[in-house]
Amino acid sequence: MSYSTMPERRESPGDPMPKPGPTEEGGGPRRPETGSPEKDNLLKRMKKVDPKQAERYRQRTGE
Amino acid sequence: MRLFGLETEYGITRDDLTEVDPVVESMELVRAHLTASFERRWDYAGEDPHEDARGFRVSGLAQDKEEDEFAARDAHRPFSFQDMKSDLVLPNGARFYNDHTHPEYSTPECRTLKDLLAQDRAGERIVQRAADRRNKSLGGEHVQLYKNNTDFHGHSYGCHDNYLVPRSIPFPRLVAGLLPFLVSRQVIAGTGKVGIEAQESGFVPGHFQLSQRADFMETELSVDTMHNRPILNTRDEPHADPRTFRRLHLIIGDANMCEYATALKVGTTRLVLELIERGAVPSLELDQPVAAVKQLSRDIDLKAVVRQKNGSSISGLDIQEQYYRAAAQTFAGLDEETDWVLREWGDTLTLLVQDRRRLIGKLDWVTKLWLLETFMQEERIGWDDPWLASLDLEYHNVHPERGLYLGLEAEGKAWRMTAEADIQRALAAGPADTRGAVRGLCVRRFPNQIRSVQWERVRFTGGLLPRTLDMSDLFEPSEVNRCLAIFEAAASPVDALTAWNERKDSQS
Repeated sequence: MSYSTMPERRESPGDPMPKPGPTEEGGGPRRPETGSPEKDNLLKRMKKVDPKQAERYRQRTGE
Repeated sequence: MRLFGLETEYGITRDDLTEVDPVVESMELVRAHLTASFERRWDYAGEDPHEDARGFRVSGLAQDKEEDEFAARDAHRPFSFQDMKSDLVLPNGARFYNDHTHPEYSTPECRTLKDLLAQDRAGERIVQRAADRRNKSLGGEHVQLYKNNTDFHGHSYGCHDNYLVPRSIPFPRLVAGLLPFLVSRQVIAGTGKVGIEAQESGFVPGHFQLSQRADFMETELSVDTMHNRPILNTRDEPHADPRTFRRLHLIIGDANMCEYATALKVGTTRLVLELIERGAVPSLELDQPVAAVKQLSRDIDLKAVVRQKNGSSISGLDIQEQYYRAAAQTFAGLDEETDWVLREWGDTLTLLVQDRRRLIGKLDWVTKLWLLETFMQEERIGWDDPWLASLDLEYHNVHPERGLYLGLEAEGKAWRMTAEADIQRALAAGPADTRGAVRGLCVRRFPNQIRSVQWERVRFTGGLLPRTLDMSDLFEPSEVNRCLAIFEAAASPVDALTAWNERKDSQS
């Protein structure tokens, strides 16, 4: 394996992030560009998540 | 000596029940994987979590009050210790079992980051495959598994990174060299968490922080892992020749979904250990490391500063920068993997300041924050909405059609070091240059002649003489290859042990 080629192993056809632009408040990651089918698919998956799921989720303490 | 591995405790739930029994669910999940009886032969001799690296042995380990009550009830269950553990040793040399009501996958020992990632991803596949089998028997997709570290109600479970280190490094030197690094490692390796919580206490929404585990760090050093959790765990369980080695067992880390974050977490920690060995760590001493872990975690702008013992203040990024510079100065050009870690470590620290968006799909906390902010804008909700904690949880679901990270990855938005073929190889066998490959080979070749298995040995059945493959010092890749060749070619374990022992005798 060549570590110099690792970034090319990225399975994305391009950079997943929107183009650089002015810094948003807080310096955090920018929202994705709207209208892309990929974003819509992921948002659909997110909207299917039950809003109460974390409230019900209980585990016992682990290590 | 480079050797490392990851242990990951998964969260488990059933969405068809209002009351879930985690003991039964975790046992049933692991047993759903069971394909042959030989897999249930873990050798517990030599496991002693009471031994402390500071040179003493504790009489007991701390649990919180709630867990004490659970443990008292567990004692009356109709299961033996072995039933409860349901310990499996897999054909790739990994361990898969029920650890404290969590299905845990421990990778075999790895020497390269690529092998570690492949084995970690193989673990995700193995636990999900067990869930698929369990769900088939239940008649629906009821069991869900989460590669995360919190239930958002004050209960945490771990993802531990382990490193083989020479015992010749005095433990106090390891502590001094590691503490500032571990306190600040979350700027790279945190998985992000909605809300704030603490051991056995409630959940406060309305915040986003870098790390899932930071809220649960309570002390600098301790042998405990379930209560009074330390930044640096002092458990002295080397799983190797104790005269020569110790195993550094770090419990502060989050369970990463991003391959890049896992690679940097382990790759940078390994370099810091080598800096400590060479006496080249930066001179840093934090005034209150435990408070600093929480303080840094709760500042997503990465501008918070923490006090040093010399009275000055320093940010988490600056701590990392100092370690990075020391490592770059000492190790640049050493080998391809080291150069990769150095380049990506430096680039990441720069991007965290200059253009964080370019770390989406690489760092978990950045990726999760981006997803949540996108969703908040779309749904017009704020940070106090309980939906966000549910999305945080679902980010870590290892079901390929439900998990948010896996959805992002399926769309090609996540950085990958592994290819599918790497993961398939990791499911079938351990890394060829570590004793994990030997353990896995024994399981595949001689399943009916194995009496028990441990990290450092395999015991075979038959005869009055001990028939044990001792791997407590089997670390050199050339020796591993020789051992593999002997066990591959031998007609029986006895033949293999005879040939291997003759070789060792001729060398001594």
